[in-house]
Amino acid sequence: MTPDVFLFWFLALLIIGSGLAVLLFTNPIYSALSLAMTMVGVAAIFITLHAYFIAGVQLIVYAGAVMVLFVMVLMLFDIKAEIQAFSSGKISGAIKLISVGLLSGLIVGGIIMGQKSFVGELSKDAVQVAEAQKVKKSTSPDAATKELGMVLFSKHIFGFEALGVLLTVIAVGTVALARSRGGTHHAK
Amino acid sequence: MGQDVFEITVNCIKLVLIFLMMVQAVPILVWVERRGSAFIQNRFGPNRVGPLGLLQLLADAVKFLTKEDFAPDKAIRPLFYAAPIFALIPATLAFAAIPMSVPLEIGGYVFKIQGYDMNVGIVFILGVSSLAAYTILMAGWGSASKFSLLGALRASAQVISYELALGLSIVGIILLFGTFNLTEMINAQQGTLSFKAFGHTVTSAYIPNWGIFYQPLAAIIFFAATFAESNRLPFDLAEGEAEIVAGFHTEYGGFKMLMFFIGEYGHMMLGSALMIIFFFGGYGIPWVTVEDVRQWAAGLSESATTISVITTLVHFLSFMIKFVFFLWVFIWVRWTLPRFRYDQLMDLGWKTMLPWALGNTILTALVIYLIS
Amino acid sequence: MQNNFFTDISLNHYLVLSSILFVIGMAGVLLRRNVIVILMCVELMLNAVNISFIAFSKYTQNVDGQIMVFFVMTIAAAEAAVGLALAVTIFKRFKEVNIKFFEHLRG
Repeated sequence: MTPDVFLFWFLALLIIGSGLAVLLFTNPIYSALSLAMTMVGVAAIFITLHAYFIAGVQLIVYAGAVMVLFVMVLMLFDIKAEIQAFSSGKISGAIKLISVGLLSGLIVGGIIMGQKSFVGELSKDAVQVAEAQKVKKSTSPDAATKELGMVLFSKHIFGFEALGVLLTVIAVGTVALARSRGGTHHAK
Repeated sequence: MGQDVFEITVNCIKLVLIFLMMVQAVPILVWVERRGSAFIQNRFGPNRVGPLGLLQLLADAVKFLTKEDFAPDKAIRPLFYAAPIFALIPATLAFAAIPMSVPLEIGGYVFKIQGYDMNVGIVFILGVSSLAAYTILMAGWGSASKFSLLGALRASAQVISYELALGLSIVGIILLFGTFNLTEMINAQQGTLSFKAFGHTVTSAYIPNWGIFYQPLAAIIFFAATFAESNRLPFDLAEGEAEIVAGFHTEYGGFKMLMFFIGEYGHMMLGSALMIIFFFGGYGIPWVTVEDVRQWAAGLSESATTISVITTLVHFLSFMIKFVFFLWVFIWVRWTLPRFRYDQLMDLGWKTMLPWALGNTILTALVIYLIS
Repeated sequence: MQNNFFTDISLNHYLVLSSILFVIGMAGVLLRRNVIVILMCVELMLNAVNISFIAFSKYTQNVDGQIMVFFVMTIAAAEAAVGLALAVTIFKRFKEVNIKFFEHLRG
């Protein structure tokens, strides 16, 4: 068992375990901390997929800022006891779980069946063949990051700039929301 | 990790050694802090235990280890006990990615003097050191006390605000050197000042080729942001004694509090090391390139192993001198400047440092575009 | 194919992991009653999608997947900020963040 394989299984179990913990803990702060663990696990999976820069950005943005924000807001709320953590009604809960399970079964089934009908484009052997045929792109992490930057700023420049504008709008909107003194309904 | 068992073993031992180095530097730093602060404040400091008070830390360690291991009654046990352990993790992970000297070549093996060499080094270090906010939050919430919670919220808000200024101030340096890799940044800062402008190469024999001469504003912003990241004065609102007792580590005593301090000093060491790598040439010696040192060492002995060992040691010594100097600056500033008020602190981070760092980035990008 | 399921990591492994994570997030949105936890489960779903993008990007040697992840990550972080601001406003007004109290459209 090579280290890569072991790493994938370990990280997969870690991610799924912490994901379930997000769902199952009744105390929301434990949920938030489990989600932070999931984010770190996802960053590690990105590294096994050779996406080093994206892994670093995931750590900085998600695990380092967004989740800290979540935990801070939860601590400010200071919820003493969760009144009712899960939605009530056994039948509706069962229906929800069944539909979710159905969705997961459909997706996994689609993936497994797709590997036979995709004329071997995405199966492992085909990838090896394609790699041998293509001009061998250098897979050093430096070159991968450079390529990412080049494509981002040439082909997707419009999306990048639009993202900047969107972020400005969101920042202004969030501050306005947080400072608002109510709207049509005033506090009693 | 290496191809054969010998290399793997040496690399594993190296990882452990770097971790131990970081942890063992803390008592020395605390001694320097206590004697240094006493020197600045015109008093003695600990001078009774051992010569010059050097064994004071040993006595402190014994005291901490034999203290009672308590937790407040209403504390949330898992979070309360996990927070001090978690304090060590970000600083250790980030410190292991810092190159401390030229790679050592013995036999056929090349050993790098760092825990692991990441090609996206700086992005990884920033990401991992931003996990320090969780320690503070877990400690504050797990203590179930008002002072702890207030201190934790303030400290974590401060940490995530100054992360921005930290990251943005580095972008100018990354643009300049064109790489995320820390070793390559150090290699680009060798020798004397020389850069290409409009086709000519501008050199000067008097100034070393350090980052601080290219990006002085970024150096100032980065250094100030490092103070905020490691919760040191003048940004230590979270631990200000007169205001909120001891902030998020109020309810901790004994060895658990010591672990928080190891984490804080670890962040200090990380900030110091990053400052050296970005702006002061890393392990290089000013005005002198690595090749010059290697040739000088070749003049001393013939065997390739000895040459490599001498080069590595010389550069390690250079790194250590700069490192210790910046740690002393951290301690010096702590006992010189008064503390910021919380709103002043937030204003400084968002309204002053962030725009200046952005302006620095834009200016750097413009200048690089125009002169090449 | 059965004997190397555990030792050969192919694209399918990552896609199945992504789908399981997505489904866990979806179950969280459907079942949990705390507004913040629902927001966190939405973040979980977005992370699952990120994993699948990056897996495709690596196995088809196309860097566009990573760029998509860039965009998704940014938007998700911004949306989390807006969601939290809304949650804070709701809490200020109603002193509750359990959606049990918001089942009716009237104020």
